[in-house]
Amino acid sequence: MGGTVSVGLAPRCALAMRAMGCQPLRWLVALCLAFGAASACADDVRRVLVIYSNGRLVGGNVDVELGLSRALASSSKGLVQVYSEFLESEFAESSYEETVTTYLKAKYSRQRPDVIVVVARPSLAYMLRHKRELFPEAPVVHAAVFKSYLVSVPAIPSDVVGIPLEYDPTGTIEQALRWHPSAKHLVMIVGSTARDREWEQILKGITPGFESRAKVEYLSGVPTAAILARVAELGRDSIVFTPGFYQSGDTLRSTPRDSVQAIARASGAPVYGFLSTFIGTGVVGGRSPDFVDMGTQAGKTVQRLLNGEPAATLALAPAMPNRLRVDWRQARRWGIADGQIPADAIVQFKEPTFWEAYRNIALAIACVFLLQAALIGALLLERRRRRNAELAVQAQRSQLAHASRLAIAGELTASIAHEINQPLGAILASADAAELILESGGDRRDDLTRIVSRIRRDDLRASDVIRRLRSLLAKHEPEHQLFDLGLMINDAVKLLEAESHRRETTLEVRPLPGGTMVVGDLVQLQQVLINLILNAMDAVADMAPDRRMVVIQAAIDGSSVSVLVRDRGHGIAADDLPKIFESFFSTKHKGMGLGLSIARTIVEAHGGRIQAENGAVNGAVFRVDLPAAATRSASMAAAQ
Amino acid sequence: MTPAALIHVIDDDASFRESLCDLLKAAGFDVRSYASTGEFLLDATPDRPGCVLLDMRLPGPSGLDLQAALLRQERTIPIIFLTGHADVASGIRAMKAGAVDFLEKPVDRATLIDAIDRAVERDESQRQSRAVRRRQHERLAVLTAREREVFDLIVSGRLNKQIADDLSISLRTVKAYRAHLMEKLGVATAAELGRLAGEQGRAAD
Repeated sequence: MGGTVSVGLAPRCALAMRAMGCQPLRWLVALCLAFGAASACADDVRRVLVIYSNGRLVGGNVDVELGLSRALASSSKGLVQVYSEFLESEFAESSYEETVTTYLKAKYSRQRPDVIVVVARPSLAYMLRHKRELFPEAPVVHAAVFKSYLVSVPAIPSDVVGIPLEYDPTGTIEQALRWHPSAKHLVMIVGSTARDREWEQILKGITPGFESRAKVEYLSGVPTAAILARVAELGRDSIVFTPGFYQSGDTLRSTPRDSVQAIARASGAPVYGFLSTFIGTGVVGGRSPDFVDMGTQAGKTVQRLLNGEPAATLALAPAMPNRLRVDWRQARRWGIADGQIPADAIVQFKEPTFWEAYRNIALAIACVFLLQAALIGALLLERRRRRNAELAVQAQRSQLAHASRLAIAGELTASIAHEINQPLGAILASADAAELILESGGDRRDDLTRIVSRIRRDDLRASDVIRRLRSLLAKHEPEHQLFDLGLMINDAVKLLEAESHRRETTLEVRPLPGGTMVVGDLVQLQQVLINLILNAMDAVADMAPDRRMVVIQAAIDGSSVSVLVRDRGHGIAADDLPKIFESFFSTKHKGMGLGLSIARTIVEAHGGRIQAENGAVNGAVFRVDLPAAATRSASMAAAQ
Repeated sequence: MTPAALIHVIDDDASFRESLCDLLKAAGFDVRSYASTGEFLLDATPDRPGCVLLDMRLPGPSGLDLQAALLRQERTIPIIFLTGHADVASGIRAMKAGAVDFLEKPVDRATLIDAIDRAVERDESQRQSRAVRRRQHERLAVLTAREREVFDLIVSGRLNKQIADDLSISLRTVKAYRAHLMEKLGVATAAELGRLAGEQGRAAD
């Protein structure tokens, strides 16, 4: 690759980089040296040493560390290395502090911290005592230190800065009394270590203000068991207030948080404590600065110092703000309504409403339901559409069948008119005869009786014709009914009797065993039969009288019933035979070619079959096969 | 009073037939009823004025067939057709073939009786003219062939001289025949002879 001189500038630079080795940091250092910024770039890592007053897991420490690390992580300048030390100032032996100092001195002799952060008063006090010895050059940022302490220290060096704390026990107790207006008893619990005693001092300074409203009781330095026993006795008319303790009247060591938790668990009265870390242990709440905020503030101050601002000129807030914190579950427990909690309070452990907790799931489920509903809706719609279409087809079919029946009736007009006029004429003549007999005045009762009964008979005859005709012509919905095939055939033949006379054609019915039942639409099946018979009569119309004959024959064969219509005409031409049931196929001059196609539609809708063939000797045979209503035919026959 | 007219009812519908019979009897007619045309033809009908009430549509030979048969047999009994369903074509056929009337069932009593009365009247007048003609025929039968020839020429308005020319006989012979036949027929004048011929002509219509 070196041989390609013409490669250009960029590869050459990359080559130079490679020559410097793969450590950009070192390369940076070199750069810094070259520009003479020795102090800033002498060490590329900025070190912050955080000294906590007590143990690693004290809640306050955890929160401060969180806030601090967040603030430092957002640093724009290089890498910041944070070291933590825990003084555990409870170890009060005189040699301990010396040991710690020696340890720190030795530990940080090479990696000198750029900024020291002290968390809580003991570590600040320690640092004030040993700063000169340990880290004279590093500015100190304090956090979680009470203002009261700061003012008590005679001379705080100008490179020791921070935002002091001011706990607000008064505000907390005031809030508690507002929430429990009926409380008559205020129980203050403090421990027995030196630090705990300081709380006692502070509290005793403020409690006189409340004595007018509630009886104040102090449990100070009482053994833990006694404390728990006492709080267990308390009722809802009491309020417990405690800053927590490290130790109280016995050898048990605790953290303020743990002690508060124990008290809150045992107490029959609401417990208030102001440290933000107490929330969740069972206290209702309290006004306090937030430890995370403290860490954050300290971190920001550290940033400013690392950025080169001199400690003396930093303008910092006079104190950390106090905020009311409430454990929502406890507020519930003690009957504090949401409306009573000030709007600026930090409410923790608020049980999310269903919507808050399961918003996404709920939305997802709702979506699924909606989709499902939409799908179901669409399917239902589709089904309905299909059903409507089916109904429309069915309606059309039934209309067509009806039209075809009307056509049949049209064909039968002459014979039907004759058939109806015959009895009507008879009735009129009978009535006229009766009238004349009555006018003649003779006593001819017998004649009159005979005439009247004849009138009735003729009337019934006429109405029978009309009934048969009407059932054929009625526009009706297709229905499924059980009916006697034999009766249906007889009815059809009766309807055609006059027509057969007119055409001088013999109709011969070979009877069927009674009670042969069929399920279906009587009118439509009768229509099929009438159609076949009329076709047969057409087929023999121009035959010699002895061949003008149509035979209707029915037979039952197991589960199926067959009806045969046989004529003695010329038969069907072989070419026509396959097409005979097709629509608009007709061999007649005036035929529409719909009768047989409709007949087939009807028969197939009944689960049956229709076929045509030529007779053995002459003529054609039409055969309709229908499923017999076998199960009921026997019982019906028996019933008849 | 003349005897009641005899009405023949031919209808295959028993109920209608009976009803019609009852009605006609009540109206004062004599009635005979038949279920078919055959029955009617086979029946030895008494020679009485009347008419036939005939259903147009009958099993076997139809009403029109019967009408044709009667015409062939020169039985001039008037026919009233009855039909359950008026169909113009057969109605026209029936009327052309000499039906008196063509009625549609159910038929109004007055219309029916009217039609029957008309038919019976016609039958009676036909019978009368048939009788006159028969009588004339009998009177003219006394003439010899030559006398009949002369008679025909006289009534057709020919003069004696013309008749003599037509028949190639003498005028005197014509006059002799004329006197002889007038004596035979019992008429005194040519006018009477003409009236006799007129009746004869009408009867032959």
